Amino acid sequence: MHRRTLVKILPFAALAIAVPGNATVYLTVEQAQSVMFPHQRLTPVFRELQAAEIEAIKKASGTAPLSKQLQAWRAQDGGWFILDRVVGKHEFITYAVAITPQGTVRDVEILDYRETYGGEVRNPNWRQQFVGKRFGAPLQIDKDIKNISGATLSSRHVTDGVRRLLATYQLVLARA
Amino acid sequence: MRRCRPLLGTYVEIDCKSADAVAAGFAAIERIHTMMSAHAQSSEISNVNRFAHLAPVAVSDDTAKVLRRALDWSRASNGVFDIARAGGRALTNGDLPRHDGQPFPDPGADWTVIQLDAGAVSLATKACLDLGGIAKGYAVDAAVDAMRAQGADAGLVNAGGDMRGFGPRTWRVAVAEPWTRRGLVELDLADHALATSAGLRGSDGLSFAHLDVCGDEWRSVTVCAPCACDADALTKIVWALGHRSSGLLAAAGSHAFAIGVQGSIEPIGSEALAA
Repeated sequence: MHRRTLVKILPFAALAIAVPGNATVYLTVEQAQSVMFPHQRLTPVFRELQAAEIEAIKKASGTAPLSKQLQAWRAQDGGWFILDRVVGKHEFITYAVAITPQGTVRDVEILDYRETYGGEVRNPNWRQQFVGKRFGAPLQIDKDIKNISGATLSSRHVTDGVRRLLATYQLVLARA
Repeated sequence: MRRCRPLLGTYVEIDCKSADAVAAGFAAIERIHTMMSAHAQSSEISNVNRFAHLAPVAVSDDTAKVLRRALDWSRASNGVFDIARAGGRALTNGDLPRHDGQPFPDPGADWTVIQLDAGAVSLATKACLDLGGIAKGYAVDAAVDAMRAQGADAGLVNAGGDMRGFGPRTWRVAVAEPWTRRGLVELDLADHALATSAGLRGSDGLSFAHLDVCGDEWRSVTVCAPCACDADALTKIVWALGHRSSGLLAAAGSHAFAIGVQGSIEPIGSEALAA
């Protein structure tokens, strides 16, 4: 039957191996810029945030920037591309926000995502259950598992970060 | 090309050779997100929650489809899957906001108060519907449709673990233990959907009332189904009914397994291991 080809459950080897997929690079900065501002020239406007600005951003958005360095690019149409990072309990995320000339968020793009969990698989008990079952494919240690299904991860940290960048735009960039 | 954007409350990844198809997939997910998020005051589902107890509220084809499918699963599971009870609980717990003009739901409001007629929704009594347990999967399906319409022959859409691959190739997927995020099971996914639910708090489309929940023994439930909408809904039903969900799984052409608290893998349904 057709299903045979659909899904094969195969256990990892019980040896301790790194689960690799937990660090993912999606786009470089240049790629993100061309996705978010196609055919537009972007001019870097990097600057160091002053203590008073950081305080104001924190007050307006509820979170403080991780870094004093503001990495922003101005687009030809008056929009902005801002690069930023957020750190969660278990994740470290680089992302970019596209802000329209009217000062609204148009787009959010994740550039890279790293989980800080340990990624070892060592559980002989569960593996034992599969012995003798119909698992046709040989065991493999795949070095490039990109896709993970587990508990749904909340994107709250990035949502908080986007709110902070919007405040940064209003308090710093829009006034420049 | 592989992009990732924060949508549907989680991180959505789309992997496809065609950049245009990736963009089309994200556009579809944004559209579903805008219509079906109960967090947004002006979404279709929020309008239903605010006004449908007073008069029928017109909804898009997409929202009507999701509601119809949610009601199918409510009926089939005898109310185990219930977007009205889940929504009422989410509102009470503060997991969902109560918008301007939105009434408190009647405590007894369940899925049977929802009437869907020619693209309009009525509620027989005040209720708060939450599509959180099914719309994520539906959005994945909509993205796949949009990517195919754009001419893509293969791709993968992964909305925080609810995923679907299409086309003549397989996608290597790790199902992770939800607490540690360690990969425990490796699958090859092809032209199929996969969804995992963990027993975490929050608004998830499931009514735990009057159920003996399997949450003491299991960390997560993973369902493989032909479409992501069904896979998404079924994870909640399997979570609640355990092995009693075998019949529903089989009827939906699906199979499932649970990850136990000790890291064991427990097949559910007779076809669970027919690999």
